[in-house]
Amino acid sequence: MTGLLRKSLVSLAVAALLSTSALTPALAQTTLKFISWQVDDAGNGEWWKSAIKAFEEAHEGVTIEFTKVERGAYADTMTTLFAGGQPPHIVHLASFEFQSFADTGWLEDLDPWIKRDGLDMTGWAGQSVCQWNGQTVCIMMSYFGFIMAYNKAILEAEGIEVPTTYEEFLAAARATTKDLNADGIPDQFGTGHETRGGAGQYLTEMLSYIIDAGAYWTDKDGKVTIDTPEMVEGLTRWKTIISEGLTPVDMSAGDVRRLFADGRIALKLDGPWLYGTMQDGAASADTVVAAPPFTVPLGGSSNVLAIPSEITDEEKELVWEFIKLTMSPEFQRTYATVGGNTPPSPKADISGVEETIPHFPLLVKTMQAASDGGIDRIPAGLELNYNEFSKMIQEETQRMLIQDLDPADVVKTMQAQAEALAN
Amino acid sequence: MPNAKMFDLARPSRQHLLGYILLAPAVLLVGFIIVYPLAIAIDLSFQQVRIPRMGTRGAFTLANYQRLFASSEFWMACWVTLKLVTVVTIGSLFVGMSTALLVNNRFRGRTLARLGMALPWAVPEVIAVVIFAWIFDSSFGLMSWLFVVTGLSDTMIPWTSSPAAAFWAVALTMVWKGFPFVSIMVLAGLQSIPADFYNAAKVDGASALQRFRWITLPLLMPVLGVTLVLVILWVFRDFSIIKVLTEGGPLKTTQTLSIMTYDQAFGLHNFGYASAVGVLTLVISVVASIFMLGRGTKAIY
Repeated sequence: MTGLLRKSLVSLAVAALLSTSALTPALAQTTLKFISWQVDDAGNGEWWKSAIKAFEEAHEGVTIEFTKVERGAYADTMTTLFAGGQPPHIVHLASFEFQSFADTGWLEDLDPWIKRDGLDMTGWAGQSVCQWNGQTVCIMMSYFGFIMAYNKAILEAEGIEVPTTYEEFLAAARATTKDLNADGIPDQFGTGHETRGGAGQYLTEMLSYIIDAGAYWTDKDGKVTIDTPEMVEGLTRWKTIISEGLTPVDMSAGDVRRLFADGRIALKLDGPWLYGTMQDGAASADTVVAAPPFTVPLGGSSNVLAIPSEITDEEKELVWEFIKLTMSPEFQRTYATVGGNTPPSPKADISGVEETIPHFPLLVKTMQAASDGGIDRIPAGLELNYNEFSKMIQEETQRMLIQDLDPADVVKTMQAQAEALAN
Repeated sequence: MPNAKMFDLARPSRQHLLGYILLAPAVLLVGFIIVYPLAIAIDLSFQQVRIPRMGTRGAFTLANYQRLFASSEFWMACWVTLKLVTVVTIGSLFVGMSTALLVNNRFRGRTLARLGMALPWAVPEVIAVVIFAWIFDSSFGLMSWLFVVTGLSDTMIPWTSSPAAAFWAVALTMVWKGFPFVSIMVLAGLQSIPADFYNAAKVDGASALQRFRWITLPLLMPVLGVTLVLVILWVFRDFSIIKVLTEGGPLKTTQTLSIMTYDQAFGLHNFGYASAVGVLTLVISVVASIFMLGRGTKAIY
């Protein structure tokens, strides 16, 4: 009996040893988790996949698990993963949401890595946004300038030139908002804004009018600057556009873009991504891209890459290698040719991109104009409370529209509430 | 041998042990997925924490509750929740009972009518809300078009950006989604009432209304009591309909306690404060359930 037991134990030990040996090659395989909302995006998704492929080819035994999480659930998912101590290795965040993660100490300080590899970040568009508490916590992947697209058939039918100022824009929007079949319901709009989505998007929609009026939420030092005559003018412009019904209301960004692409909207202010929707639209032959009719075009940082602070040093090294690859001149060029975006790197070779994207020089021009003007959607000093701030501005603006309040009174309320948040 | 006796679960005196052992996995699972998160939420509500971290704990504080009770936003969310619970419960009960009484009669196409009655219950909630979002679209929606065509309104109605309209858009969607449950429960209750009661009442000359008031309604009360509690709890905790349709807006006029909890936690990263809202929502739900179940039981003959 004892002999049988001994034999069984020995067999078990040998089997355990063999199984451990068999597992060794599998353990040598490293998988980096990379979650993004851009996995299936036309252009952006292909660009990420090409970077992942190049990285995996250069790093034998390392694979990147590229998983999609919808943008609507993205912040929730990332917060849950970080809070549970299971962050993805490659951290991809929107430029308005990384601040909470950085403030909690979840993002690695990238300054030592940049210094070690001698990377020159001079002129990297939007990179200043990645400075948090004196550290570089991320690399800006995209900074863009707004464009204006218009439907030339609608403008020509009304005998209107392409607007180059806010006044001309307003006049064109008024002239092209129409009830075409006389059923009492407008079915063609002068312009189109998303007013249904989140508060951050609502502020972005308003911002072109506000910046053109010479106003902004805060100054460069983070002092709240809402209670100004310029902001009153900016809010008045927004109120005019909404209350005169020059835009469809309560629609999502995707629906508004689709309406424009299908020829139901005359003028559309948007980011470079509008072009993809325009090409698929029923009115693709009539839609044209032009410079926005505003003194400084709206621009902004879009998304960032970062390293979580709590992964192992070996994993950090690999993630940094991946980030460096995306920052390389080669991939900064394909960011334009494949992704259709304006690359943030000043060294990116973007010659010849206009052959596939005819308006690409305009994208670069508006991006540079916005960058030179120091324009961003995230106000200095309110980064950490941006969600709360944008919600407050959205609600006070909605109150102004619903209760027909005077913008001069509304800015006072906004100023007081923004100051309370900033402090 | 003594060990074998100890684990002889077939013995009558040990049968309760077998019951506990069989129940243990389910109890442990429920404890893990319900009680544990609940305990974490209660614990978080006593900490001032923006984003929580497993394994770390802040100092004990009542600040979240003090802020909550002083917040007009919280009281408004309570009021909106109460209004919505009242309107949707009454609406669902009325429509649900009416349709159940209708399809309880014999007529041609009754099976089809019963199927149609139950259909909204079978449609996934998010899909139903997306359909209603199209119906209530402020620029091109069917509902506004009907109002304009029938002359009830001169202009398109901004269903989701007007405070009053947004509330009714949410309430109507919830009634549409919720009434089939009431119908099914009431229909089951109606079929359990013996036909003899009605025949006897007819012989005594009772009218249809009298038969409904003195036979149907009292005998349905046990079913209605439970149904009422379940509908109230559903409206109380429902999240997706409001989130997709109005996101709690405009001006927080459709922000219920569940929407406020979500927004504070994931929108504004105030997890401690959000947990306090969640804990109070739970307390209100439990109190309401106990009260309603008590009322339902007393109403039986």
